[in-house]
Amino acid sequence: MKYVLPVVGTAAAVGLFAFSSANQAALAVEKPSYSDTFEQLDLFADVMARVRSDYVVEVEDGELIEDAINGMLQSLDPHSSYVNPDDFRRLQEQTSGRYVGVGMEVTQEDGYVKVVAPIDGSPAKEAGVKSGDYITEIDGKTVLGLSLTEAVNIIRGEAGESVTLTIARIDEEPQDITLVRREVDREVVTYEVKDGVPYIRISQFNEKAAPGLAGAITELKRTVDGRLPGVILDLRTNPGGLLDQSIKISSAFLDSGEVVSTRGRDGSDQQSYDAEPGQLLNGVPVIVLIDEASASASEIVAGAIQDRNRGLVMGMTSFGKGSVQSLIPLRGGRDGALRLTTQRYYTPSGRSIQGTGIDPDLFVSSYPDDGEDHTRVSEADLPNSIENEEAPADDETADEATEDELIIDYPPEGFVVTDDYQLQRAIELIKSGNYNQRLAEMQN
Amino acid sequence: MSLKHGLVLTGAFAATLVAGWSYAVTPKEIDAPSYEKMQILADIITIVEAEYVEPVETQTLIEGALNGALAKLDPHSSYVPPTTYTEQRKAARREYGGLGIEVIMEEGLIKINYALEEGPAYGAGIRSGDFITAVEGESILGLDLDEAVEGIRGLAGDPVTVTVLSPDQEPRDLSVMREQVRGRAIRHRVEDGLGYVLIESFNNTKLTTDLERALELLEEELGSEIPGLIIDLRGNRGGLLTQSVSVSGLFLDGGEVLSVRGRKDVDTERYHADDGEVMPDMPIVVLVSPGSASAAEILAGSLQDRGRAVVVGRRSFGKGSVQSVIPLPGNKGALRMTTQRYYTPSGKSIQGRGIMPDQLVSALDDTGELRRRIREDNLPNALLNVDTSDYEEVYEDVIFPPEEFPITEDFQLRTAVEILKGSRYQELLDAQSDLD
Repeated sequence: MKYVLPVVGTAAAVGLFAFSSANQAALAVEKPSYSDTFEQLDLFADVMARVRSDYVVEVEDGELIEDAINGMLQSLDPHSSYVNPDDFRRLQEQTSGRYVGVGMEVTQEDGYVKVVAPIDGSPAKEAGVKSGDYITEIDGKTVLGLSLTEAVNIIRGEAGESVTLTIARIDEEPQDITLVRREVDREVVTYEVKDGVPYIRISQFNEKAAPGLAGAITELKRTVDGRLPGVILDLRTNPGGLLDQSIKISSAFLDSGEVVSTRGRDGSDQQSYDAEPGQLLNGVPVIVLIDEASASASEIVAGAIQDRNRGLVMGMTSFGKGSVQSLIPLRGGRDGALRLTTQRYYTPSGRSIQGTGIDPDLFVSSYPDDGEDHTRVSEADLPNSIENEEAPADDETADEATEDELIIDYPPEGFVVTDDYQLQRAIELIKSGNYNQRLAEMQN
Repeated sequence: MSLKHGLVLTGAFAATLVAGWSYAVTPKEIDAPSYEKMQILADIITIVEAEYVEPVETQTLIEGALNGALAKLDPHSSYVPPTTYTEQRKAARREYGGLGIEVIMEEGLIKINYALEEGPAYGAGIRSGDFITAVEGESILGLDLDEAVEGIRGLAGDPVTVTVLSPDQEPRDLSVMREQVRGRAIRHRVEDGLGYVLIESFNNTKLTTDLERALELLEEELGSEIPGLIIDLRGNRGGLLTQSVSVSGLFLDGGEVLSVRGRKDVDTERYHADDGEVMPDMPIVVLVSPGSASAAEILAGSLQDRGRAVVVGRRSFGKGSVQSVIPLPGNKGALRMTTQRYYTPSGKSIQGRGIMPDQLVSALDDTGELRRRIREDNLPNALLNVDTSDYEEVYEDVIFPPEEFPITEDFQLRTAVEILKGSRYQELLDAQSDLD
């Protein structure tokens, strides 16, 4: 069973969503060959009948068909899946920013559940769960063989109930920790003034992201007496979320003009999304921090700011998820919903970042150049990931060009990783007064 | 949907034996909740066909669906698409070509370990113990075994000239016609005055005959009755069910060897040994490892249950399920599905549990704990065994090689020899019956 989603989890909405009811109306447009479909469904029904009558033990039909649906969608790409009615309800809770759980973003690696990040103020965070921890067992049962969704469903539950996770860390003995599930209020926007520079972190693009950003900007302006010397927008490890939130967030930096465009199959139904007028940060220098785990909606924001030359993007190449999933309710949600990749998106200059990601204007690593590989899983590494239709497979000249230009700013020897070199470099750049010069260089 | 024919597969990986397969009952009607789920599947397919970011074939979707469902049943059930199915059927029929010799490398030359009596090399006068020094006039000195053998292999019907060196003779060139020959599935040799046979696989319809012949050859080489026999099944992934039954039958005088049981009692098939056994007084040690699966476990399990052999090594793999390959109508490929489980004569299921040796012996040195091994019960979605008695290997019960034991030597085999030569054999055999 191969089933890897980049970042799903107890807390995170996956990737990029356009909530869509319009999609069902579009069904009438194309007419697939129904006779073929029925013939194939016959084959499926035939196999199910044989399993029902002759498999070595009795099997629950319904479960089998749900497994079939999941298998079918996983074979398409890593982001398409079936959302059963229970999960559909939970997903709606998640995008609204509240849910019951232990509070962590998780992914899957080598068959284990891996913690991307515990959520501030959650049971997981309080119990000392850290980014990079592996969960090997849930309530004493191995997670091997479970899909990420299955594992996540076991970790989730009712408020007040407890769940025991076996946590493995590199060079440490596995330990059991017991967490009590509760309602986790997921504040996705946090902010503070760091060394005199306003800093805003968006951890996920749920419905609270844009209002949170507006609130943060108001508060920060008040703190620094109205005049912002610059803003650092931290989108590192942000796995994405809602498409409309990424547009609203971009509108804080851009007054009008395109933020992103999406295209369906064969370039059909192209749609362009423009920034809303009334930007909150007119004329304020912006540095966007991204890393390998910045995906989807994060990449839209970073891409728009970069392409429109509105700010500098700093950090490491982003995840590279350039596809949009529509959440299509089945029979009004009674049968759950279908999360299906329906579109690719393109930055204002027309780039698709599918499988390639956003290259920062300024490469800054958070890890020292110690010869070790600190790279994480990217979209292109996922099984069945869709390809970038623009990228020529063997374009050596392009590769050489990037390698020539790729100058990575590494932290000096002995620098403590937790001191956040990327953020320090961003603060230094804003304070140095060289920001405008660097921005102009990028424009050329 | 009346009578269907299918392939019954045994073995963790291998495919083969053809057998009749029929529906005992008509499939039960689909129930309402399942019908609703089917409706969801159909809805989803319609949406995906219309909306997915790239065009998709319905067939691809259904294959994904079938694989998704079947992989959740157990690790051995799957959908076999039409092209693969045809290829597998061809592969099952294919025979190897060559000269019919088993060779090893010795002092830079190819040494004939065994020449198949029906093979062309044997017909040309090549015998066990001979050396091949050159192929087509080219010396093979300096080549490794694979490279050296490469020149010998070729199309059946094409001759090859080999330079053969027999003891006390001048080298001679022999032209041998390559033929389609089958390889033996066993190797035999005298080991420390005892008989040793290695069964690599049960995927050979002449395995039982080969084994009987190997026992005769061992007697000839020993110049006496075989004082004790080691049957090495380590790493043997299984193969033909019929061969595991007939090999077991060689050493058993009638009685049950194995039962194969499906979901319903009426599906139970029992396999029996023929009356009479070869070498009834010869002690036997069977070597097993976590890589011994399926047909190998049937042999080890039946000889152990019937008190005919002592099993030595580490607990075996635990593949005790039977897959049927059911062709789907309209050239739609086939369904490979688990339909039955194996039970040893005492009624224990092999599935997910394997055969526990009478004497646990580790091949590798003692690190203070048992090394973990991948077995059936570690596989995702494996069918587990409800009977968990006598299933965990206990560290304290394991014999480890002493520190000074050379790493290049086979400690499990060494222990098997010691067991056969000392009083330990009878003790272990007695302990078996104490348990029952």
